[in-house]
Amino acid sequence: MSLLDALQNECYQVEDVAGPADERRRLLDLGVTPGEELAVVQSVPFGDPLVVMIRGMRLALRKREASWISVR
Amino acid sequence: MHSLEAAPTVSTTETEQVLTPSFESHSQLRTVCLTGAPNAGKTALMNALTGGSFHTANYPGVTVTLSRGKSKSEFGSQLLLVDLPGVHSTSAVSPEEELSCSIIEGRHNSVQPEALIVAVDVTQLERHLRFASFVARQHKPMVIALTMMDLLPRAQQSVNVRKLENAVGVPVVPVDGRTGWGAADLMRALHLELKDAAPRHTSLADLPDEPVSAYKTIRELLSASGALKNNNQFLLARDSFTARIDRVVLDRYFGFPIFFAILVGLFSSIFWVARPFMDLISWLFSQTGHLLLAVLPVGAFSRFLAEGVVGGVGAVAVFFPQIIILFFLMTLLEDSGYLSRGAALVDRPLAYLGLHGRSFVPMLSGFACAIPAVLAARTIPSKRERLLTIWILPLMSCSARLPVYALLLGALLPGSAWKAGIALGVIYVSSLLIGALVAGLISRLILRKRTASLLAMEMPVYRKPLVKPTLRITWTRSSAYLKRAGTPIIVISSCLWLLSNFGLGSRQPASAEGTRAPLVAASDLDHSFAAGLGQTLEPVLHPMGVDWRVGVGLISAFAAREVFVSTMAIVFHVSESADGQQGGLLDNMRTATFSGTSKRIFTTSSIIGLIVFFFFSLQCLSTVSVVRSETGSWKMAGLQLLFYTGLGYILSSGVVTGLRFLGVA
Repeated sequence: MSLLDALQNECYQVEDVAGPADERRRLLDLGVTPGEELAVVQSVPFGDPLVVMIRGMRLALRKREASWISVR
Repeated sequence: MHSLEAAPTVSTTETEQVLTPSFESHSQLRTVCLTGAPNAGKTALMNALTGGSFHTANYPGVTVTLSRGKSKSEFGSQLLLVDLPGVHSTSAVSPEEELSCSIIEGRHNSVQPEALIVAVDVTQLERHLRFASFVARQHKPMVIALTMMDLLPRAQQSVNVRKLENAVGVPVVPVDGRTGWGAADLMRALHLELKDAAPRHTSLADLPDEPVSAYKTIRELLSASGALKNNNQFLLARDSFTARIDRVVLDRYFGFPIFFAILVGLFSSIFWVARPFMDLISWLFSQTGHLLLAVLPVGAFSRFLAEGVVGGVGAVAVFFPQIIILFFLMTLLEDSGYLSRGAALVDRPLAYLGLHGRSFVPMLSGFACAIPAVLAARTIPSKRERLLTIWILPLMSCSARLPVYALLLGALLPGSAWKAGIALGVIYVSSLLIGALVAGLISRLILRKRTASLLAMEMPVYRKPLVKPTLRITWTRSSAYLKRAGTPIIVISSCLWLLSNFGLGSRQPASAEGTRAPLVAASDLDHSFAAGLGQTLEPVLHPMGVDWRVGVGLISAFAAREVFVSTMAIVFHVSESADGQQGGLLDNMRTATFSGTSKRIFTTSSIIGLIVFFFFSLQCLSTVSVVRSETGSWKMAGLQLLFYTGLGYILSSGVVTGLRFLGVA
């Protein structure tokens, strides 16, 4: 499923990272790699961006970016 | 160090810099670069290693000013330490990251490090070690400084430094830059590495460049060596302190009120706390001017010094208190970790306009001055969003416009301070709204093609900012601003002084002796080059409903907008009276008429027209020069100057004509 459908404060595993090449590479560089555990830890007033916790780091992702990340 | 922090510490220079003498004296020292991801604690480390005595330096051929300093002498033979901008990703995107990467890879001409210190946040080992592997691949002597050790208990982790060192094959030294703990050990390890210059083969350098396998290998390395222990496997339990604060400041209902309260606090300190200091500075400069006139022999040169040069320096210096307060509070917000939350909050509305969450920092700074604002736009990773942010910055109502608005509103709404106050509020809010409108229109109509743009912003843990480093950074940034903004303003105001005090000899009123006038002669303003220029321009000024004297004011305002006020005082012949210059100027403006007629110059419509002109027009050549150096070409800077000044002229003429058509004088 897409990270957008993830429940808050539940742990998921990254399945795949899609998106345009440059942006995908940047996400991978930041440590959003397949197999890694992540959780949505905080929502922001407009619901966008969402804050995920991955590799011990809080990362704010726009919905557009989150939609490229599939989790299970 | 914080991701939003890197920008203003480094400031740009227009052209190739001349080597400064202090740079020469450092050149025999060996250069060591301090590098790491943003938020890895580099600045605090720099502070500890240099004993707090680092400065920004302009390197020749680089458009970025890096901070550098000598290592403290108690740490063995001195080294020249250079702090590089933080790097998130080596598939570099932002110009700062590109600079850091080129220096690390030895592709840079003027900064050639002999060794590197990599700051690695111990709570972010995997990500920061991956960056360290990029550094290790250059096969230069390197040492890893393990920072944020005090946060380990919060993250419920423990690290065995010996095992980590064995696993990566590079010396690892735990430090706390904030207290200086471990700095001596770090320098000892660095000196050992520098002595043993033979390139070493490390397992860190063997890591693949490709991120997925690199992260996999790092994790295997860490777990096989037993260097890292996670006491709490549950991801979410880590650092509940930050999570608790985030729940409040990013709350659905409280998030924005808190954000706006912080902004209001910031603004009020910029305007009200700075006020007495600004008054003091402007008093000091006017006294210095008077003193110079009194001490020096009477003549054009002493007047040039007193009015042109001292006046010009004063015009910049008067905004210095505001800039210091702005930088100080911004640094505090960054170091505490709040600034990235603010950026996350406003990202959605700003992204709608084609901007980036981080655009709010430059936009906010733009209300003090466009120059630090343009520099702050550096942290915006995508080029499109960075350029669009820079494009709308001249619209933000900077403080140089304030004296102009105060004068014009005083003339428009005499005797009712509260109405003028409301009008000023309307002007400020409109500048933000029109900036948003321009950004939205441009991103929708002109830049329709979407290019790479990514938020993916790290939100660091909350920490208490330290006073001393904050003050140092504030000072570094403020003095860089003074140099940056001051030079063009002083040059331009000196030129304008010459233009308004000299004129063609043939145009001067005939002297009593009837001697032949020289080609160029000292002149009063009415017969100066500036007046000639203003009179030539008069037909152009006609639609705005003003005469050449106001035109001279508008031209002089290109040095800095507030110069308009002092020029108006000269052209409308105000002598400094007991009731203050402003009162006298307002009286003279009220009675001023077009020469030879009884038609008033300053009517409701022409004053509103002038306000509209100042609202839009890019009357600040310092901003133009900063935009040129930040975007790397005259194209955008020139286009911006023409666009906003043209827009100001057209709208102002339109407003005046429209109002007169409706019967408003």
